[in-house]
Amino acid sequence: MNAPAPLLEVRHLRVEFPTRRGTLVAIDDVSFDIAPGEVLGVVGESGAGKSITGAAIIGLLEPPGRIAGGEILLSGRRIDNLEPAQMRRVRGKEVGAIFQDPLTSLNPLYTVGRQLVETIQTHLDLTASQARTRAVDLLKSTGIPAAEERIDHYPHQFSGGMRQRVVIALALAAEPRLIVADEPTTALDVSIQAQIIALIKRLCREHGTSVMLVTHDMGVIAETADRVAVMYAGRIAEIGPVADVIHKPKHPYTIGLMGSIPTVGQDRERLAQIDGSMPRLNAIPKGCAFNPRCPKVFATCRERRPDLLAAGTSLAACWLHDASVAKEAA
Amino acid sequence: MSAVERPVQVVPKPPGKGAPLVVVEDIAKVFDVSPPWLNRVIERKPRTLLRAVDGVSFEIARGETLALVGESGCGKSTVARMMVGLYAPSRGRVVFDGTDLSALGTAAGKPLRSKLQMIFQDPYASLNPRWKVADIIAEPIRVHRLIDGDAAILARVAELLRHVGLAPADAEKYPHQFSGGQRQRLSIARALASQPTFLVCDEPTSALDVSVQAQVLNLMRDIQREDGLTYLFISHNLAVVHHVSDRVGVMYLGRIVELADKTTLFATPRHPYTRMLLDAIPDMQMTGKARTPVAGEVPNPLNPPTGCTFHPRCPLANERCKAERPLLRRLDDGAQVACHAVEEGRG
Repeated sequence: MNAPAPLLEVRHLRVEFPTRRGTLVAIDDVSFDIAPGEVLGVVGESGAGKSITGAAIIGLLEPPGRIAGGEILLSGRRIDNLEPAQMRRVRGKEVGAIFQDPLTSLNPLYTVGRQLVETIQTHLDLTASQARTRAVDLLKSTGIPAAEERIDHYPHQFSGGMRQRVVIALALAAEPRLIVADEPTTALDVSIQAQIIALIKRLCREHGTSVMLVTHDMGVIAETADRVAVMYAGRIAEIGPVADVIHKPKHPYTIGLMGSIPTVGQDRERLAQIDGSMPRLNAIPKGCAFNPRCPKVFATCRERRPDLLAAGTSLAACWLHDASVAKEAA
Repeated sequence: MSAVERPVQVVPKPPGKGAPLVVVEDIAKVFDVSPPWLNRVIERKPRTLLRAVDGVSFEIARGETLALVGESGCGKSTVARMMVGLYAPSRGRVVFDGTDLSALGTAAGKPLRSKLQMIFQDPYASLNPRWKVADIIAEPIRVHRLIDGDAAILARVAELLRHVGLAPADAEKYPHQFSGGQRQRLSIARALASQPTFLVCDEPTSALDVSVQAQVLNLMRDIQREDGLTYLFISHNLAVVHHVSDRVGVMYLGRIVELADKTTLFATPRHPYTRMLLDAIPDMQMTGKARTPVAGEVPNPLNPPTGCTFHPRCPLANERCKAERPLLRRLDDGAQVACHAVEEGRG
């Protein structure tokens, strides 16, 4: 990956939630890059920290959550320590966001057109009528039929799939260079999901936009992403090219995860099963967070936490890929 | 909807080994979603009827898993609820082990009620948060007076907890102390408490993470083997359906459009809607084959299209499809398909 300079760099990101009963570390030392035009998938199960990583990048962490360490750079400029007013300029203009529930990301009291025009005029220097023309074009490009009429409708007059198209139009309104899409298809039916994935892929290719695609659905990642990061208990367990992570997973968690997904066209008596469940944030085990559930656990795993180590074309946070440590185990 | 011919034959009683456990004959469920009376009178608004399920028939053999699959609003959950008597069918009937389910609410139906159980989608909403696990699981036992004496009931609860992979000590806990997957195990234990023969599972793993989903699906399969259960499995996820089912019914807007053996359905999908659904599954093998996402969305069930309800989205639709509703027809290999194009060989 010695491609052009990355668009987004996340370095040693740490997100904490101070609570009355101590500080919970939701994200612990997460680092990754996204190249211009690249789609990075971020997968993981509930509570793995994938959505919080996305929220930290767009500066929308829910208080009391806060970035406690590390840095986030967009085109080499730090965006994690900006004042709220400055961050608002970045958000929308340079980083767009698509959320899971299209109904809650739109204001039900304003027409779709008013919301689009407002977003466009906030970030681009256009007159009201120019902005409206642009809004209609955006709606057309996301495949909304009769966009000239639909622009004056309210969000409740749209179906779920159409609403998500409107949200995508909003996210693209100011031509951002990066879009953070958090479970963009999870609330949609399968046939609509396929349409929305195709739409996101096409638009990002046309505009050269980078995407951070957060989802729990490995199928969506396989269809869309160039690279994928698998998260577990607030850290990246494995990151690499999507085909390698899916077909030749290196981390025992990824191996278990891939085996547990039922697939059509493959008859299996039983699905691979990872016993137990992901630890809660207040009870993350010492050493590797996956060690209590890991079929290949050995002494070092319970003591020391592995960093991301080279494993084929991927990186995996697993001692099995450190030759000297793995030898001890054998 | 004019009078549709309804089979009125008497179902043979008592059925032998080969007879299906569940026979569903042309059931329908119509919901009255009219505006309030005052609005109808003052604003002259008409009555509005929603046909959630409109003429569905199938059989489930003993020990078999039939899956119903479809998108939101296709009526699959309504069918599930009619199967356990949570809704009464507006038309048609459900016959379970030779007995009509309309008897379920009467004294005569009481033994039947313990034989039918349901597992719901949301393990957070389907367990009473103020009850201990022991009381939740013991409720069906107490209601049906299956076991006498508290000690014996607790012993049975412990056995059920072990059966679903939890510890007997968990009986003293409350639902909030469990994760989503563990709660779904509790739901399964409760469903098994009354020693049912038939389980209706309405999206039992949709709210779970994949690794936990695998645990629950494996558990359900083990239990089916051990206890000889029959399942009706409702899901929108074709990959999950492929894993669990023996036969699959595909629903669209309140009707079954295709019903076939799992292998037949996934190898040779006939109905254009089934083909579209299969095409929409994300390609995990990453063969790079281009998918053709079908345009359009599920129409409003309050105002369904005429003829075949799929015709506005169907690449094979012609004038006949717009006018005439296709009926389920059995093909040579036993698959049943409701499609004019398939019948005429246009596909």
